[in-house]
Amino acid sequence: MTSSSSSKKQAQDPPETSEPTLKSLRTKMTKSDEKKKLKDIEISVPLVYGNIASWLGKKASEYQSHKWSVYVRGATNEDISVVIKKVVFQLHSSFNNPTRVIEEPPFEVSESGWGEFEIAITLHFHSDVCDKPLSLYHHLKLYPEDESGPLTMKKPVVVEHYDEIVFPDPSESFLSRVQNHPALTFPRLPSGYNLPAPMQVDDNGKKKRGDTKDHSLGQWFTSFSEADELLQLAAARQQVQAHIAKLRRQISLLEGQNQTIKTGSDP
Amino acid sequence: MGGTDAKDILGLPKTPLSLAQEKRSRPQKESHRKPDGISREVAWQWLPVKSSARSDDLQLFHWVRVVNDVPPSGDYSIQQSVDVLKYTDDEYENHLTDPVWTKEETDQLFELCERFDLRFTVIADRFPLSRTLEELKDRYYSGFEPYDRTRDRERKRALSMVLSQSRHQEKKDAEILAEAHRDAFGCACKCFLKINRAAEPDVPANENIGSVSPSSNSQLPATAVAPSTLSMADYASTLASLHMLHVYLRTYGLEQMVQAASSAVGLRTIKRVDYSIKNQKVHHTVKGHMPQCRILQRIASEPFSFGAERPIKKEQKRKVIQISV
Repeated sequence: MTSSSSSKKQAQDPPETSEPTLKSLRTKMTKSDEKKKLKDIEISVPLVYGNIASWLGKKASEYQSHKWSVYVRGATNEDISVVIKKVVFQLHSSFNNPTRVIEEPPFEVSESGWGEFEIAITLHFHSDVCDKPLSLYHHLKLYPEDESGPLTMKKPVVVEHYDEIVFPDPSESFLSRVQNHPALTFPRLPSGYNLPAPMQVDDNGKKKRGDTKDHSLGQWFTSFSEADELLQLAAARQQVQAHIAKLRRQISLLEGQNQTIKTGSDP
Repeated sequence: MGGTDAKDILGLPKTPLSLAQEKRSRPQKESHRKPDGISREVAWQWLPVKSSARSDDLQLFHWVRVVNDVPPSGDYSIQQSVDVLKYTDDEYENHLTDPVWTKEETDQLFELCERFDLRFTVIADRFPLSRTLEELKDRYYSGFEPYDRTRDRERKRALSMVLSQSRHQEKKDAEILAEAHRDAFGCACKCFLKINRAAEPDVPANENIGSVSPSSNSQLPATAVAPSTLSMADYASTLASLHMLHVYLRTYGLEQMVQAASSAVGLRTIKRVDYSIKNQKVHHTVKGHMPQCRILQRIASEPFSFGAERPIKKEQKRKVIQISV
C-alpha cells in the first residue's frame, strides 16, 4: 500500500502500529464490536445562517436606517429544533438587552439600526444531543456590495452561509429520536443494528411548527445547490486544462526551436 | 544705473512719501519673465503698505509689482477684518452647550478665532487643549447653524461603512486565504490522485508539465509529494481530535484535514499551486461553502479509500455520552 512515513503520533490514543494491514484491522474490528458506541457514524445537520436587511427608505432615520433579521435555519428549511434547544444571539452592546435568547424556532432576531457588526450565534443542543454549545460568527451586512449604487427598498441585502453541524459519535437516544427526520442526514447503521425506542426530549411537547418553509422572508433565501457548484468547478477545471494545453504547445514549440538551433540551422 | 538699482534692491527708501511719488526708473525685466511680445513696462517698487488695519502708526513697506504704472489693487492688510461671531452667556446656555466642550474651552476658541480671523490652522496650533482642526471648526460653525441631519447621517453611514469595510475586509481576506488554501488543496489532491492512478493524461499544476507521464508515478519529482502518502496515522489522528470535540462544524473539520494534508505536502508546493491557480485567473466564485464541503469531503477521503475498502481508522477509546443534566 502506501509507504507511510513513521507516524507522528498526534492522537491521544494509546500507541499502535501505524500501518494496519487488513488482517490486523479485522482483529481490531472485532474488539470494537463489543463496544456499544458506533464507529463511523455521524449525524450532520445542514444549516444556513446569516442576515437579511432592508433599507427603510422614507422612514429611515439617523439611527434606524435599516431593519434586519439575523437567523439560523435548516438548509432545506426543515425544523432544526429537533436538534437545537435554543440559540443565543449576541448583538452589539449598543442594543438593548444585547443577549437575545431564542428558545423556539424560527431562531432569529429582528432589529433596526444603522451599523454593521459581528454577531456571535451560539447553538445550544438538547441534552441527549450534546452538552457543549457551538458558536458561529456572522458579520451583519446592511449595505449592498456595490457601494456606489443608490439604496433601494425593493431588494434587501442578503448574506447567508452554509455549514453543517457534525456530531461524530451520536448517542443511541439521539439516533433513535431523530430517525427519519428531514432536518438532518442520518447515517447508515450497521446491518442488524437496532435502535432502542426514542426517548422524550425536554421541549414541553411543543407542537408548534418549526420549519421555515413558509417564512415571510423565504423568497430571499439562498438555495445552496451542490449541482451548481459542481458545474462551476467543472468550468474552472476546463479553463485550467485549456491553459495547460496551451502551455504544452508552447513548450513543444520551444523545444522544436531548441532542436533546430542545436543541430545547426542553415541560414 | 547701478546706484539706484542697488538701492532699490536693497530696499533703502529715501523717504516714505518721496518714494511713492518717485518716478519709476526704466523697466527692469526679471530674468524669469518671458518676453511675450506685448510691450509692457513692469517694475518692482518698494512701496508702503496701503490700507493697513493696524491701530498704531507703523508704516510698513513691501515690494510691489507695478505693471504699466499701475500697482495692483486690493487690500494688502495683513489683518483681514472678519466678523467673528460672538455670543452672550445666556445664548451659550441656551444653544451652545455641548457634552464635549466646556464653556471655557469654547470661550477660548472664539477668542482665538477673533484674534486669528478664523485661520483654523493657526488656531489649532495655539489652542491649549489638543483638538483637531476639524473639531475646532465644527465647534465654531455648528453653534450657529441649524443641525443638518442629512449630512450627519451621511457622515455616520460613511463612517460605519468604512469601519465595517475594514473589519469586514480583514475577515474576508482571512476567509479568502483559507478558501484559496482549501481550493488549492482540492485541486492538488485531485491532480496528485490522478498521477497515482496512472489512468489519465491530465497533468497537475506543477512545474514539470511536460515531463510527468502516467507511468512515472513512482518517480515524482522530489519537490512534489503526493498527499496520498499522507500516513493513515495523520488522517486518523485528525479524525480522532475531531471526535474529541463531540460536535464541530463541517468547515472546521475540513480545515483540519487540509492542514494535516498541507503539512505533509510542504509549503513550497502549496505556494506553487496557489500561484499557478492565481495565474490561470480561474473564475471560481464560491458563494456558499456547502457544496465545497461535500466535494472536499469526497476528495479528502479519496486517497484513503484507495486500495482499501473503507477509511481505516485506529482503534479509539470512545467516550460514552451520558444523558446527564
